Order: sequence, then C-alpha cells, then structure tokens
Amino acid sequence: MNISLKLIQKYVDLPSDLTYEQIAYDLTMRTVEVEDIIRTSDKFHDIVVGEIKELRPHPNADALRICMVDVGEDDLKQIVCGGSNLTEGHKVCVSKPGAEVVWHGEGEPVLIKESKLRGEKSYGMICGATEVYLADIYPPKDEREIVDFTELGVECEVGQCVAEVAGLDDVVLEIDNKSLSNRPDLWGHYGVARELAAIYKVPLKELSDKLPEGLPAYEVQIDEPERCPRYTATLIENVYVKESPAWMKTLITNCGLRPINALVDITNYVMVAVGQPSHAFDSHHVEGNKIIVRNAKPGEKLVLLDDKELDLNEHTLMICDSVEPMGLAGIKGGKKDSILPETTSVLLEVADFTAPGIRRTEREFDEKTDSGMRYEKGVDTQRVALGVSLSIDLFREIYPECRITAFTDCYPISTEKAVIDITQEFLDRRLGEVLPQSEIEDILLRLGYEVEFDGETYHCKAPTWRSTGDVSIHDDILGDIARLIGYEYFKKQPLKVNFEHSVNQVKADLARKLREYLAFRCGFNEIFTYPWIDERFIKAAKIDLEKSVRLATPPAPELVYLRSSLIPGMLEAIDKNYRYFDEFSIFEAAQVFEKGEYSPSSEEEVLPVHRNLLAGAIAGKDAKKLFFMVKGVIEGLAGYCHCEPLDFVQKEKPSWADEKVWLNIRSGKKVIGSIGLVSVSALAESGIKMISAAAFELDTDGLTPYPSRTNEFKSLPQYPLVEQDLSLLVDEVITWEQIREAIKFMVKELRFVEEYRGKQIPAGKKSVMLSIKIGNDDSTMTSKQIDKKMAGIIKVLSKKCNAELR
Amino acid sequence: MLDKLEQIRAEGFDRISGAPDREKLEMIRKELTGKKSSLQEVLKSLGGLDPDMRKSVGMKANEVKNLFAEKIRQKEEELIAKASVVEGEIDLTLPGIEVSGGALHPITQMCYDLNDAFRSLGFEIYSEDDISSEKFAFDNLNFAADHPARASMDTYWLEGTENKSGNERLCLRPHLTGGSVRYLIEHGAPARFVYPGRVYRNETTDARHERAFFQYEALIVDRDVSFSSGRVMIETILEKVFGRKVNVRMREGFFPFTEPGYEIDMECLLCGGKGCKACNHAGWIEVMPGGVIHPNVLRAAGLDPDEWTGFYTNIGLDRLVMMRYGVDDVRLFHSADLRFLKQFK
Repeated sequence: MNISLKLIQKYVDLPSDLTYEQIAYDLTMRTVEVEDIIRTSDKFHDIVVGEIKELRPHPNADALRICMVDVGEDDLKQIVCGGSNLTEGHKVCVSKPGAEVVWHGEGEPVLIKESKLRGEKSYGMICGATEVYLADIYPPKDEREIVDFTELGVECEVGQCVAEVAGLDDVVLEIDNKSLSNRPDLWGHYGVARELAAIYKVPLKELSDKLPEGLPAYEVQIDEPERCPRYTATLIENVYVKESPAWMKTLITNCGLRPINALVDITNYVMVAVGQPSHAFDSHHVEGNKIIVRNAKPGEKLVLLDDKELDLNEHTLMICDSVEPMGLAGIKGGKKDSILPETTSVLLEVADFTAPGIRRTEREFDEKTDSGMRYEKGVDTQRVALGVSLSIDLFREIYPECRITAFTDCYPISTEKAVIDITQEFLDRRLGEVLPQSEIEDILLRLGYEVEFDGETYHCKAPTWRSTGDVSIHDDILGDIARLIGYEYFKKQPLKVNFEHSVNQVKADLARKLREYLAFRCGFNEIFTYPWIDERFIKAAKIDLEKSVRLATPPAPELVYLRSSLIPGMLEAIDKNYRYFDEFSIFEAAQVFEKGEYSPSSEEEVLPVHRNLLAGAIAGKDAKKLFFMVKGVIEGLAGYCHCEPLDFVQKEKPSWADEKVWLNIRSGKKVIGSIGLVSVSALAESGIKMISAAAFELDTDGLTPYPSRTNEFKSLPQYPLVEQDLSLLVDEVITWEQIREAIKFMVKELRFVEEYRGKQIPAGKKSVMLSIKIGNDDSTMTSKQIDKKMAGIIKVLSKKCNAELR
Repeated sequence: MLDKLEQIRAEGFDRISGAPDREKLEMIRKELTGKKSSLQEVLKSLGGLDPDMRKSVGMKANEVKNLFAEKIRQKEEELIAKASVVEGEIDLTLPGIEVSGGALHPITQMCYDLNDAFRSLGFEIYSEDDISSEKFAFDNLNFAADHPARASMDTYWLEGTENKSGNERLCLRPHLTGGSVRYLIEHGAPARFVYPGRVYRNETTDARHERAFFQYEALIVDRDVSFSSGRVMIETILEKVFGRKVNVRMREGFFPFTEPGYEIDMECLLCGGKGCKACNHAGWIEVMPGGVIHPNVLRAAGLDPDEWTGFYTNIGLDRLVMMRYGVDDVRLFHSADLRFLKQFK
C-alpha cells in the first residue's frame, strides 16, 4: 500500500524537523514495514514551466515550429516543437537539457540534450502529457497535443518545477501489505496518521462522522445482518461523468490507483483516505428503487464489467435491486449498474461487510479487489459514518450543483469495543521492567483505548477500529505497549543458564555422525532432492506406486507422487551429473512416506508412515569396484558412527538392484536396508548411459546408537606376529566367506588381498590371495612352529575349501 | 717407504675429496683401505723391514689408515648433507595430489553451525515429521479458519484429504512451527529446543523463491522470560555463527501464533549496514521472524498461558546461506548439481 505524506499531513501535524527517513524508520520499527520511500518529484527534475514568447514557422519543415521560450532564465530559449496546440503567450511544460522524458509515452526515459532539428537549434523540448508522466492528470486529446497550463487553467510560475505545479511533489511510503494483514485500521491514511500521532505524541485531527439528516429514506433491506452489519445508501442527483480535479487525480495516482472519472475517483479517494470502501451505482439501473442485501439464489448469475459471468451460489452475499443481483457485496460491482458516460445520478453505497464472508467469496471467484482486501481484514461499522461524511463533502466540492435527495442508514449490528483487563503484574513480568502508570495510560489513550486503572489492573476498552478481531486478549495490549515504546528500548536480559540437565541426544548425534562419516570419511557429497519426484525415476527403480502418497495439487503433473524411497532421487542426481564427472559419490538423508497409519502426537491425528532413510550412490565405470566401494562404506559405518554392528545377508532383492549384485544390510537380526549395483534397466530407463552405479539405502531408525564412543581397547601383542601371504587356487563356487570361516580361528589376523582369473588359472577356478598373521601369546614363534602352523592352515583350507597352493 | 705412504695419503685424500656420491665413496673406501689396497700392501711388507723402520712405517701406515677413515666420515657427512631423496629434476610448481573429500550440503553446514551454537546454550534438537495435519500446522497455531495459507494455493495437501479438515486434512508441513506443539505435548514445560527442517509451499519458483526450503526454529518456554531475552539469544547465536558481533534490531511484526510478534533484522554483512544492492539499500536484512507464544498455542500444547510464556525465533536457512556465500539462486540448493555442491568444503 502506498501512503502519501501530503495526505497524512492533512490529518496530523508532524514535527517539522522530522526527516522522511526517520518517519519510515519509526513506522517500520513500531507499526508496519516501510519498504521504500518514493519522492514523486524525482523524475521531474529539469522539467519546468515555460512561456512561449514568440512563435514562428520552421524554414525547413511544415510540421515543426520554432518557439522562443522563457524558462525563467536570463535569456529566451529557442525550442523546435511539432505540437498541434502551440499558442503564443501560453505557459507550457518544458524539458530542459538533463531532463528525462519518455519519448511518445513509450519505452525507457531518454535524456534531453541541446540539439538541432532540421537545421535549427533546439534547446530542449516542449512536452506532451504522456512524455512527462502527466497523462493521468492532464489527459491529452490528441497525440500531438502539448501540455498547455494556460489552457488548462492551472496556476503556475515560469521556471517552476512541473511536479510542484501538478502536486506531484509528494513523498510516498511504500508499505509491505503483509505487515498490515492484522491491522484493518491501517488500510487508509487516517489510520496511519493515528499511529504517527501516537508515535510522535502530536494531536490527530478529528474527522466528521455526521450523516445527512432530514432526507427521505431510500429503501434498504438487509437479509443477512451477520454478514452485512451496516449499509448506508445515499442518492445523489444532478451529477455527470467528468474528470476529477488535478489534486485528486494526483493523490489517487500517488496511491497506486488510476484515476477514472470523478464519480469513481471519489469512492477511491475515500477508501485510501479513511480506509472505508464504497461503491457508486448508476441509480437509474437500480430497479424498484430498492437495495436488498441477500445471499444469491441457486442459478443466479452476475456479469462483470469485463463480461466474465459468475455462477453464484447460496453462500454468495450479493447487493441486489428488487429484480436481480447487481454486485458481489464488498468486492465488485456488476456490469449492469456501473457508471456510464450518460450517468446523471448515483446511488452511493457505504457499507460494512464482515471478513469471513468476503474471504470466502474472494476465494470462490478468485476476485481480489482493493475493496475486498480491506473488508477481509475486518472493518468496524463505525467507520461507515466517516466514509459517508467524507464522500458527501467531496461530492459537494466537486459537484457544487449536485442534490442529495435520499439517505438511509440501515444499521442492525454495531461493532462493540473489546473489553480487556490487563494487570500491572502481568505487564511488569512480560516486559521485563516496570513502566509508570502514566506512560501506559498515555500510550493506550493515543492508540484510542479507554483506560481505567484500579491500582492493580488496567480495565481497557479497545477502540472499535481494533475490535474486529485484531485486539482481543491482554497479550494484544501488551504488544501495543511494547511496540510503541520500541523493542529497542528494552533492557537486554540474558537467559538463565540451567546446569541440571545434560542434553544427551544419541539419535540426533547419530544422524549427524552418519552424514559426517559419508562426507568427510568416504568422500560423498550431500545432495537434497525434492520429496515429490518425477514418476520416470520411480518407475525406473521399479518402486511400487500403490503404496505411495500423492499430492492433491502437485507442482507438475509428473510430480504427483511423494517419495517412498530415496533411490529415484539418486537416479535423477546421477542423470544430472554424469556428463560432468567420471566418478562421483553422493548421498541424501531424508524422510520418505508410505500409505499407512502413524500417530506421532495424538491418537486423533493419523499420518502416513514416515521413514528416515539414508541413501548413497557411487557412479563410475568399473561396476564391480563400485559395488565393493559401497560395501566398504557400509562395513565401516557402524564403527565410525558408534552404533551396533551391521552385517549382510541375501534375503530380498531391492527393486532397483542388479539381478546378481545385491545384499541386504542387517543390524542385529533385522534387515534395515540394501546395497547393490543399480540394475541395467533402472539405468536405461533413467537415461543414464555409459556409466554404472552402486547404491545403498538404509533406514536410520534401524541403527542402534551407542550412548558414547565405544571403541574397545585391545592390548598390543607382546610377541611379534608373523605375516604370511598365501596364494590359493580354488573352485569358482568357493566364496571368501567360506575361506574366512575355515581358518579364522587359526590366525591372529586375516586379510583378503586380491582375486585373480586369467590365462594361468584353469577354467572353473580362481586364484585368491590372502595375507595372514600368526603368533604365540606367550613367546616368539620359532621357524619350526611357523612351518607347522602354516601346514595346518593349508591342510584345513584343502579339506574345507578344496584349495591348493599356487 | 715413508714417502710412499705420504704419496698414498695425498692421492687418497684427493680421491676422497673428488667422490661424487656415497656409492663412489664406498668404492674408494674399499680401494684405499681394503685387502687389496696399496696401504695393505705396505702393511704386508712390514716384515721385511728393519725393526726401527718397521716401527715408524707401521705407525705411519696406521696413521694414514685413521686419516682415511676420518676423511671418509667427513666426506660422507658432507655428501649426506647435500644429498636429495629424489634423483634428477623436479618441478615444484606442479599441483599437489588432490584430497578426495566429499562435503555436507551448505544448508546442512549452516544447520550444524547453529546446532553447535544452540547446544552450547543447552538447547535440545528436535525434529518433526515432514507430513503434518491441518490441526497441527494451522489450528493449533491460532491461524484463522479461513486464513489464506490454508488454501491449496499455498499449501501442498495430500490427495484424498484436501477437502477434509483438522486432524484428517494432511499436508507437507508449510512451516516448522507445528512441531513446537508436538514437542511440548511430549515433553511439557519448561523447554528450550531447536527444530530445523525443510518446509513446503505451493509457490511459483524463481531465483528467490522455492517450493521446498529450510527453516531453523528455536523455542523457549519458561515461567518468566521477557521477550528482550529473544534478542540477546539471537545476538549470541549470530556472533557464534559468523564469528563476529552482528548487529540486530527488533521491530513490530505479526504472526498468528505470536502475540506480540516481532521481526528481527540483521545488519547486512555485505555492506556493514551502509546499504547495498543485497539489502535493497536498507542496511538491514530481515532474517528472523519471532515473537512471544500466543496463549492459544500454549493451550493447544496443554500448558496454562497464565503460568507459561516464551518466544519463538525462526531463521530462514536458505537466505542465511545465500548471504554467507553470496549464492544468487535459491533453486541451486535442490539442484543436486555437484558443480555447485563441490564448492562448499
């Protein structure tokens, strides 16, 4: 919302030494956020009033003339101009060198320089309204017309800045609408003026709320008083469509609205001035000379100005004449009753509509208007009188010949002042310091509260303009006091430290250890993907869509499913990155969802099942190596992250994994995840070419963290161990696991070195190299003992694994 | 004979001095003092000399032998001192071998920095699940029944629940605040905890707007806390995160779940508060909404608002990280693009 400081100054005399920046700062700190300060005169620099002293034809161009212009400097300036209405002795709008104008009213502003036009010197430019941002205020009748202040009857001085002449020398504060959403009283200048008066402790001018008296009634019937607590109808005759006076057009423009015609502009002016929306109907179109405020009947329709047709329903509150609906109450008028060039009398509606109904209708028909935006915040019924009074004043000023011939104030329900008690004790405790009674009372009075203090409690009545929901509990009053004093003035009070409870959260710690292990120890990069995932990758991973949870309004049609696994996201990430990197490792820790029942906080709330998963992938060329890299990551995980150990089984193949190369991860007896190579089809369907990937996924809730670091200390060997390498020839079917199991109790240490298949190895066999360490607990091994031990080991390997030495 | 020894010594010294490396020196040592050396020959021939001569020649020969040993030791030391492990030329400007390391996501890094800061102040870390209900995301938090955020224009409702209400209408959580009531229901008061996480809004995305983004919320509930403590807490946390004092200011703000509510602005770190493009020439950046817990929220958590109070602080993590590194497009955070992520060590 835009706030004109010119209009504000009609309501409050601000201290003269106050800068605009200070006003913006104080409003931001105490009331609403000022996003920008706009000086509306900025763009009018070097655009001044000039008087055409002499006019003569251009020797080389029929359409151009040469003007000698007085711009308030020592000499006359020669300006070449093609304007259609150039008149000697008239005051016009001149852009001097350095000014920026919009050429023919289109495009970016252009810098004016001294130049020559068809061989004749031209000092600057005599401008049309569109060229100098004045089209709304002085609408041109034809394209070549220049702004002629004399013709327009505008008082001005030669050399005066045009911004000042047009009243555009204002300062406008741009306010963030979001910060206003709880303050219905601030949606007009008067409300903001009241805040400023309270902040600077200066008086606020009173507004008239006088209603017309002694006039015949206009028939108004309210069927839904809960939704329309007050409706005034004023019949104003002997008016016609004309332009508003320049001051009004300027103000409306500065407030971000467009001037239309005086009848409409008056309603907009009232709205920005006091925050009270109103609407002018062409009274000749109100059939039966009667207004009925009622809900629409099924089947009724309303045609809007842009010919859009709305299908109304029984929840839509309408302003109707005796025959049919004329407008969406509080939001928008229809086509039928709108102001037309031939309008000669208007029925002015100044009414109150309650917020919930307005919001509902706005939502239902997707109609957001300046009027609706105000009603949806909750406008008090008392404000209607300010609106009526100001409207009538404006009509009388702009249409001195108008006649007000009928008036009705239908007022079934009035906004009650909210009555709230707040104790001194509560204030002292929450504010953290004791404020004198006089200061509290002063602040509240300035904001419009009525206050009585009985020594313990302030009995407060909130003003009606804050009583439509904004102020309802003592905390609201506390907030008003705190913000007006200024949050920055309160003493800083550090929090008390509590030494009693150690924060010990092994689960949270484990989650962090897992990520740090993968990133810092294993060289993985952490990624984030969205919870909604492209169906293509879910299908590529062959994940059952039946169990997946779906979004009602997904970001895109293919993103309707919420993830039940992190693997599709891994596929997507591999697809995004494999063009740039030959080998890379990524991981993600996130929640996934599945249909089911889960109640974390209350029995009544049943959510889908959530699982906390951790997934990772290594992409590269050598598939087999990738698999063992991932396997190594999982094997090291429990030790480095300090949780109960993991092992592998082959129980259930994950849907995304290769036929042969996969394992399930187990913690204790429970399968908590899987590792494997990503299947050929999953890669192909994801569009991943020329690269393989190994992946893992596990449920981190299945890990059991230790309460602290639990590495076990083993005494160092007292006698040296003997290291021996063995190269075995075994059948292909013999696994490392079998070899390990066969001799693990005979050795101190056992390490796999490599596996080999090649020319020297017979078909159906493989060579396995391992390294073992043996030793005695109580002495150094003699060479005899070593030979004996090795012979024993080889014998066992031969017997259990059919292995022979190479 | 003595002259010959002197000649052997002189020649030997020359050869030792000229030895280019330890290998050659070893060869020279063998040649000068080994069994076949001329010195040995002299010693062997001692028997044929007269006793006087034998004595003086023997002494001289031994002296030469000792001199050789000493000279060789010196030469060896000299060679060791001059020796390099590497033979031949080496280009020291070649790059080092890269440390192969991964990294945490920059958002996670910031989150952990904040965790460390809050943990040091005795806060617990809590996390709510991603899917919540209208009851916890809106009703409990004092959002008006027709608050626009409840519409599907703003919130991602789950299919099949979008037309229900309260406990039965489910969504991807639109903010973290619902988690505060869950925690308080579970643990009661007093409490001080943080609950970082990702939230979801149905928005049109651009360089500054995302559908999924990260927040970091902290809540303190206690008997007597003044809201000015909130500002002290934030100053402490920011000082810890950015490694220096960061000025903050607290101003009026409004949120359904607070009364009073406030906005906490942080001095723009890029311009030091002078005003620059990043802060829209304001010198301040709005980073943290917060406020005193609304009594209705305390009631929803089963706490008596006359007894308990406290305050929220919500930090927009994406924005803070963008500020920390000068990232210009919020969408990069969910891009999974390693060219981006590998920049954050």
